[in-house]
Amino acid sequence: MAALTNIISKNLTVKPVQALLLFLLLVILLIIPMISGMTTITLFSRIFILAIFGMSYDILRGFTGIINLGHALFFGGATYIAGILFNRVGPTLDVLLLAIITAFVLSAIIAYIMGQFAFRGTGFSGVIACAMITLAFGEIVRHTAETLRDYTQGADGLTFRIPEMFQDRFMMYYYALIFLIVMTIVLRQFVRSPTGRVLQAIRDNEQRARFLGYDTKKYKLIALVVAGMASASAGIMFALLTRFANTELLTVQSTLNALLYTIVGGTGTLYGAIIGTGFVQIAQNSLLELRGIHEIFSRWLIFFGAIYVLVVLYMPKGIIGAFYQLHASWQKRKKHG
Amino acid sequence: MKPLLELKNISTFIGPFHILQGVSLEVYPGEAVVILGRNGAGKTTTLRSIVGLQPAASGQITLDGVNLLGLPPYQAVRTGIGYVPEDYGIFDFLSVEENLLIAMWIEDKDTLARRDSVLDLFPALKDSYKRPASTLSGGQRQMLSIARALVNENKIILIDEPSKGLAPIIVEKVRDALLKFKNKSTIILVEQNFDMACSVGDRFYIINEGRTELNGPIQELYDDQELQRKYLGVVNA
Repeated sequence: MAALTNIISKNLTVKPVQALLLFLLLVILLIIPMISGMTTITLFSRIFILAIFGMSYDILRGFTGIINLGHALFFGGATYIAGILFNRVGPTLDVLLLAIITAFVLSAIIAYIMGQFAFRGTGFSGVIACAMITLAFGEIVRHTAETLRDYTQGADGLTFRIPEMFQDRFMMYYYALIFLIVMTIVLRQFVRSPTGRVLQAIRDNEQRARFLGYDTKKYKLIALVVAGMASASAGIMFALLTRFANTELLTVQSTLNALLYTIVGGTGTLYGAIIGTGFVQIAQNSLLELRGIHEIFSRWLIFFGAIYVLVVLYMPKGIIGAFYQLHASWQKRKKHG
Repeated sequence: MKPLLELKNISTFIGPFHILQGVSLEVYPGEAVVILGRNGAGKTTTLRSIVGLQPAASGQITLDGVNLLGLPPYQAVRTGIGYVPEDYGIFDFLSVEENLLIAMWIEDKDTLARRDSVLDLFPALKDSYKRPASTLSGGQRQMLSIARALVNENKIILIDEPSKGLAPIIVEKVRDALLKFKNKSTIILVEQNFDMACSVGDRFYIINEGRTELNGPIQELYDDQELQRKYLGVVNA
């Protein structure tokens, strides 16, 4: 165990204590499917996949300061791409590969075009324009999906078969977990790279980044393309998990869910999206289980609205931010006896 | 000798306000030029127009023969300008080290060696190298801002009111730092503190109501109390 902790510590550049905690968490996550029912296994698989969607949004909102109200188009669009290709060509691994490539290429192209329009302005008016333009892009894709009934089944939703390899829910849990780990490492490397540093500088003060010699529009485009592709990868995995796509995945509500994951967990932290997704999904599931007690619990969005308000008021930096704050005050108290 | 930086009759608007209405100046390699003037005269806007943060509507701005007019800030500064803004412009969430790294356009051997020599100029930054910039004092922030402008091989450094808001003892330290690298760089210094301007500058320009009105060796201004009173409001005891 010490050797494994050492490997984690060195490769992920974390402290030995953090490496040990990560190792223990990994062991727990590996054991969960062996001791849980199918509902829990599916819930956790869902959390792992949606966490990537949340992290991709954190790259934009938390690390670059971009408000993208059409971000769900990458996630839902990739789910549709996988579904349509599985239905039209066949549920094979080759088709899955084709779906991944198509989703990545299309996401990159759409993100680039979206960014060209959305990142024209600077300052507050630029932020508003960006939000409105990205919202419009999201709505165009959603409306297109509703209109192309022959391919998408419109508002009824698209059901499809998936490659045999992913049909076992038990194994799907592990695939989703591996996907989460890989994507977390990739995105962590990205935000810690010199490019990631420039993105954070843009979030902090775009003008300062510009007079340091950085073409901020180019960097924002990079962030949007990376976030779009990460979101698309989550969309493909979501297709393998749910075997269903509907236009709900493309709505602004879907984007706001990603925002909620990052705000609850802590924006600009990357890992906050994982914690936020876990919290939101488990809370949503628990509230729905309480439907038997009272019908009000089926309206879980009401409670989420309240949670959102409470988090913004009392934990503006999310769960991770609150943890850091507690840790800092504890350290301070320890220092001063 | 050809001027390194030349501004010819530049005109800049901020919204509907015509701030610069004819600023012209020449800066020669190796000299330190001080821009003086009363509050709101257009000194800061002149610097911001050079780097493209407040684009000039007309006139001519050339650095070493390259036309800067119409260039966005990220292109203008890459022609060889280090800009130290009034509010320091440093990133609080980054450490001192990271603030220097983000300012480097390339992380090659020469740039890293230049960073080390810049740190020798500012020992206080060396001591706080790994600390977040948010924990630095006002003087240290100013030094970090200047150090950041020096890490690239810039042709000219523009410094906007480095003494503003600092305690007199810190102003002395900033002045010492400016004097240390003055001979190695070409500098434009916007400064309200007359003593500091005189000790660092070789020549001066006075901007009044958006126009350059006077220029000459700094000693001339230092000796002429009437001029100081008229344009700068300096009252000598």
